[in-house]
Amino acid sequence: MSLPPSELLGRISTTMREEIGPVVTGDYQRTQAFMAAVVLDKLARQLALTAVHERAEAADRGQLFADLDGLLPAGGAPADVRAAVDEGLAGGGGDVVCRLIETLYHHRAELAEAFGPALGRVRAASRARVDRQMQYAT
Amino acid sequence: MADRIRQYVATKLAGADDLRLVDLEQIAVGWSHETWLFDAHWTVEGKARSQGFCLRRDPGNALLRDLSDLAVQFRVLQCLEPTAVPTPAPYWYEDDEAILGAPFLVMEKVPGTCPNPWGREGRRFYEDAARRGRLPASFTGALAALHGLDWETAGLSFLGVPGPGIDFALGEVAKWRAFIARTAHEPEPILTDLICWLEANAPPTERLVLVHGAYRTGNLLVHDDHVSAVLDWELQVIGDPMYDVAYVLSDLNREGTDLLSNLVDRDDFYRQYEAATGIEIDDDACRYYQLLYAMRSVAFWMSASDLYATGRSRDLRLARTRWSIPVVLERAARDLGY
Repeated sequence: MSLPPSELLGRISTTMREEIGPVVTGDYQRTQAFMAAVVLDKLARQLALTAVHERAEAADRGQLFADLDGLLPAGGAPADVRAAVDEGLAGGGGDVVCRLIETLYHHRAELAEAFGPALGRVRAASRARVDRQMQYAT
Repeated sequence: MADRIRQYVATKLAGADDLRLVDLEQIAVGWSHETWLFDAHWTVEGKARSQGFCLRRDPGNALLRDLSDLAVQFRVLQCLEPTAVPTPAPYWYEDDEAILGAPFLVMEKVPGTCPNPWGREGRRFYEDAARRGRLPASFTGALAALHGLDWETAGLSFLGVPGPGIDFALGEVAKWRAFIARTAHEPEPILTDLICWLEANAPPTERLVLVHGAYRTGNLLVHDDHVSAVLDWELQVIGDPMYDVAYVLSDLNREGTDLLSNLVDRDDFYRQYEAATGIEIDDDACRYYQLLYAMRSVAFWMSASDLYATGRSRDLRLARTRWSIPVVLERAARDLGY
């Protein structure tokens, strides 16, 4: 059975850190060797989590737009807010979430009391996204 | 490079004989402009002369290169030379790439060291200096001198003068938004939220000063327990003094200590800064500018990781910054009240 790419990268990172880095001469070159180990380690962890994270991201996004559909005033939401939500409901990606945030801020006066809950719901999804990223970023 | 620098310096020192450059070293690699330090020794009519020099060269792929060119840095140093702000004296600027392969400037090599506040030795250096007390006062005094400068008389209006009210804050947000847009990174919801929040909550600027933009230990040369030179003139703007104060107060600029910039007691800083400048520190404005710094940090890391990803730099420290982006965004999310 072949080694999954993420595990292979992790092992290369360990070799770089423990076998290669310590014997590299020159401050700059040694720093580069250490950084190579760090980058490989992060890549390994990111790669190992990619499939799980992509599924979670898609599920979160679907639920986000479904919830927003109910949070926004029926028939009274500004047209481009509505358009962003509809695009999200149709399966739009992360860029739609960003566009939605911009339209929410742009129309915050019109949205009045609906602005806070709608932005709060987007923030909950964004929080979950960054929490996933932090699993390999730190 | 040593020969080319020597040949260039020889053209600038009229009547110099027996010119020798010693202790030539490149001290910065990869992130910003290259920095070379050297001492020149020569004779004029049989009399020995010597002078320390610092040369900064544009490597063509420096982080923030689009925002800060050496011609602007040189002009800023010229404007600051006769003022109370401690800075290196600027000598020559050359945009002729035939000389050293890229534009460069030459300035005074000011006595002092610049300990890295993130390293163990640097932290100990500032900890010891904090105990003695002179350097913290000098740190605050140099910032007060900067903010007390008559920048119009000094000729710094060329940096751009914001209009009244919220023009300065919105201008900075727009600048960094454009900088981010030039990178190849995919949109990030927290970053979009952060930018929209900054645009919606921009504070009015009460007074305009020369803002350094990155005033902290590590960007200051220290000699004999005082700030001998303020360095890194790459992000300066005419703007709100709280922009600099927020940077000083930021948790991001200290490590393992409550001391601001690993050096200055917070209460002492408030008291000394306000007494020296007559400017009351506005904590709400500082909180705003700290969020603006989060946006700026994301812009840095996006730009830096792009330099590596697009092959413009081979420095793996830049590649690593890609994973710094979520770390900054996570912190910004907390500060926004997520």
